[in-house]
Amino acid sequence: MTRRVIGSIFVLLSILVLPYWIYIPVLLFAIIFFPFFWEGIILAFLIDVIYGSGVEALPSFVSLFALSALILIIILLPIRERLRF
Amino acid sequence: MKVNYLPKNRLKFPYWKRILVLLVIFFAGTIVFSFLGSTIVSLVSPVWEAENVIVSGENVTPVIDRRTKSGLIVATVLTYPPQTPYDIIIIDIGSNDSVVIGGEVSMSEGPLLGLVSEVFSRRAKVKLFSASGEETSAILERNDMPITLEGRGGGNFRISLPRDMEIEKGDRILSADISARLMAIVEDVTVQPTDAFKEVLAKSPTNIFALRFVFVAP
Repeated sequence: MTRRVIGSIFVLLSILVLPYWIYIPVLLFAIIFFPFFWEGIILAFLIDVIYGSGVEALPSFVSLFALSALILIIILLPIRERLRF
Repeated sequence: MKVNYLPKNRLKFPYWKRILVLLVIFFAGTIVFSFLGSTIVSLVSPVWEAENVIVSGENVTPVIDRRTKSGLIVATVLTYPPQTPYDIIIIDIGSNDSVVIGGEVSMSEGPLLGLVSEVFSRRAKVKLFSASGEETSAILERNDMPITLEGRGGGNFRISLPRDMEIEKGDRILSADISARLMAIVEDVTVQPTDAFKEVLAKSPTNIFALRFVFVAP
């Protein structure tokens, strides 16, 4: 649990101060590493809320990163049970 | 005869509950975060200000008289690419300083950078013309040809031109308005023997990865 909280705080800080090519892989890693990492969706929302959504193809209220995080976590649900970390 | 029974306490697909929880978080987040944009940006701004002080190594004092003689407002850039994943910058002025959506943002030297896309009370987001998928009308200076600049991200643009049109590396692309300000400089021209069009890659005249001050038209 402590690792999970520290991980979430680390992802949050990296979103605030680091370049996107660091915080997006960090978020991806956290989603894969922590089981059922629903905090990843909130953190992904933060990216789009803070830095703005730049994807014209999606409606403005849909967050690309949050949607991607949601899909990834759902895909990882059955896969994680077959893997051992 | 062999019969396989499902264990009583095990569902066929045991993930429905968790998927439902994720969907609830996603839809609740979509609603909640759509109202919290201004608050979150205000809360986060001190972090960027502190980061700018640490990175630049000097204490950036707030600009007292922001109005220039030409009516433009000087703004400090709080965050810029590559911290923002799209070509968006956040500046330290907002509706309190009469910034409006659609206001033009430029460099002190003149090059046009983008338009204000979101305004909060003391902050604003600026979408650069080079943001991916952003289309902007412009003029090719060499032959006064109207063109459409297509943003490619990272301060880059792409233009499609008829293959017979003359264009060279270093040609300037100007804004389509009466002020004809510099928007991009041609960097590369590619044409295939079978194509009717040539692909031109252009670059923003300023380094968008090191922006500190911009001018905003109210």
